[in-house]
Amino acid sequence: MGSVVEINPLTRVEGHGSLKVFLDGARVERVELRLSESPRLFEALLLGKGFAQVPEIVCRICSLCSTVHKVTALLAVENAFGVRVSRATALTRELILNGGQIQSHSLHLYCLLLPDALGLAGVTGLARQAPELLRTGLAVKRVGNLIQETVGGRLIHPVNLVLGGLGRRIPRDSLLFLRDEIDAVLPACAEAFRLYRFPADTPPLPPPNYLALRESGVPFSGERLCTCEGRDFPVAAYRDFISEEVVPHSHAKNARVLGHPPLVGALSRLNLGSPLGTGPGETFPELRGQIIGRDMRANALAQALELHQAAERSRALLEELLELGREGAGNVAVAPESGRGTAACEAPRGVLIHSYDFDAAGVCVGADVVTPTSLNQEALSGDLLALARALEGADSALFSGELERLIRSYDPCISCAVHLVRL
Amino acid sequence: MRRPRLAVAGLTACSGCQLTLLNCEEELPEIAARFDLVHFPMAHSGGEPGAAGPEQPRPLFDAALVEGAVSTPGDLATLFRLRGQSRILVAFGTCALFGGVAAMDNRRSGRDAQLAEVYGAPGSGFRSFPPAPFKNYVAVDFAITGCPPEKRDLLDLLGALLAGTLPPVPCYPVCTECRSRENLCLLLERGELCLGPVVQGGCNARCPATGVPCEGCRGPVSEANVAQQLQLLLERGFGREEIESRMSRFTPEWDYGQRR
Repeated sequence: MGSVVEINPLTRVEGHGSLKVFLDGARVERVELRLSESPRLFEALLLGKGFAQVPEIVCRICSLCSTVHKVTALLAVENAFGVRVSRATALTRELILNGGQIQSHSLHLYCLLLPDALGLAGVTGLARQAPELLRTGLAVKRVGNLIQETVGGRLIHPVNLVLGGLGRRIPRDSLLFLRDEIDAVLPACAEAFRLYRFPADTPPLPPPNYLALRESGVPFSGERLCTCEGRDFPVAAYRDFISEEVVPHSHAKNARVLGHPPLVGALSRLNLGSPLGTGPGETFPELRGQIIGRDMRANALAQALELHQAAERSRALLEELLELGREGAGNVAVAPESGRGTAACEAPRGVLIHSYDFDAAGVCVGADVVTPTSLNQEALSGDLLALARALEGADSALFSGELERLIRSYDPCISCAVHLVRL
Repeated sequence: MRRPRLAVAGLTACSGCQLTLLNCEEELPEIAARFDLVHFPMAHSGGEPGAAGPEQPRPLFDAALVEGAVSTPGDLATLFRLRGQSRILVAFGTCALFGGVAAMDNRRSGRDAQLAEVYGAPGSGFRSFPPAPFKNYVAVDFAITGCPPEKRDLLDLLGALLAGTLPPVPCYPVCTECRSRENLCLLLERGELCLGPVVQGGCNARCPATGVPCEGCRGPVSEANVAQQLQLLLERGFGREEIESRMSRFTPEWDYGQRR
């Protein structure tokens, strides 16, 4: 007799989704991951809009990732028109991306994942049972948000990041204020990894195909993508290497890279050798065995190391900006020309690609956005199937609980995934 | 005193309004203590509202804060259910109040054409209609505007709910706060397409204060003189199509008065 186990809605993830596991007796036949967020059709909305409107509209794809969407869109438009921004602008953008990384990783680690580690249902449980830990997490998250708000002029959907530069330079006293705030939470960031470990005695999952931007000297950005098989290819040619198909039961498309379902995010970055900086670099050796070659259940540890890295890097960037003072500032004029611009960034959840086509007047005639969650969708489905099969016959609360935890370890961002990519 | 029971949920949106609640880092522990966050799937497992049984309180929620536009049959079902289960329904953010970014092209192109553009032929299988604000379907008791909403507006509402009331709503445009901050006027002094005069204030003119023109994310202010704003922008050399495209980014329905 066939039956279905359904988890609906998925909780403690961003956006709307559900999971169905189809059983034949006790045997798992297949799983169906439904990313059912209502489509907002951004690629269609951008067509016919002027180039200056593109980054402002497209950052609304997602709130958690609005900063990295905005920066990636700015870079793509600037690439299309051959614009090079000033050093101060580049450093400031890197600073806000680090702020976004701190806010996103700390939200995931302390508010969404921690309840699982402690056997609680959510933030209200944390507030009652682990108030100190929640306060620590929120203090870290607050600093990520302070960076985003001070640099971006607004907490979500930053306004101060504009084509060719910044709306306004960040004043010296704000930089000093942020430096002090980071110093206050650096010790907590350095200890975050202690909350998580790779689960022992768990069923094996399919080997991951890590994908990340190749190290370029500038964290979060790069011109080439690389895989764990040693292949690499230019971001600008991503359409030749990433193929996508519409999945009947989901509003997000499946993506394959060189024929394999890829895995992106903090775990992939660390596996592909993204440099961690001093502090987390010292912690890494003791966690190495729990991260290198592991599946997505190691992602929380990787995020914890990256949280420390982002805090350390933010501090270094603030020092650089303070030293730079008024030098190297200034905005670059942006003049439209016809052509295509593509750019990729490492978003908190992994590789994010924006690509736009413009006509000679700078009107958008083509738009394509590839998000980390759509890149991860097929790997997640494969992992869910493997885990469900390994848990055949388990008690139903354990069964759904383990599957939901696996989904959460991916830190899926369903708003991002659903708006899809044109073929 | 009984803790007010809250639902926090989203329809077609970016989760930014719900994130605004989670971004109240300093206040969150106290909010969790003073309210019963019964249903908040983004941050909490369980608490899925089913049919209200005899043992469940009625209404199930003292207030439901719901973000997003209505664009699918599922959205509509969620909205009707939360409306029926809540004493106060709050349209949380610009999408819920005006339609928001997803609705910007409602007057220009059909939903089917947009779906086909993004998903190709398989897109025809998705059931979706033009994104619309809550007020097109249900009675709304209160609204918080903004894309994203201001934390302050959210905290004011929560404080008022604890006191058994609702907060006052500002009815002045962005320009009021912008002038009092003594910002350079981007519209008159720099000739930029700033929507400040017709857009709801309360954001302390965040964007103009960073040198970026108001994009209108808080929607129309009451008694906005839209026809005059249009005239002003036309006189400054902007094309009508460009102006309407910018105006409709967050609110497709503007009353252009005699200029329509």
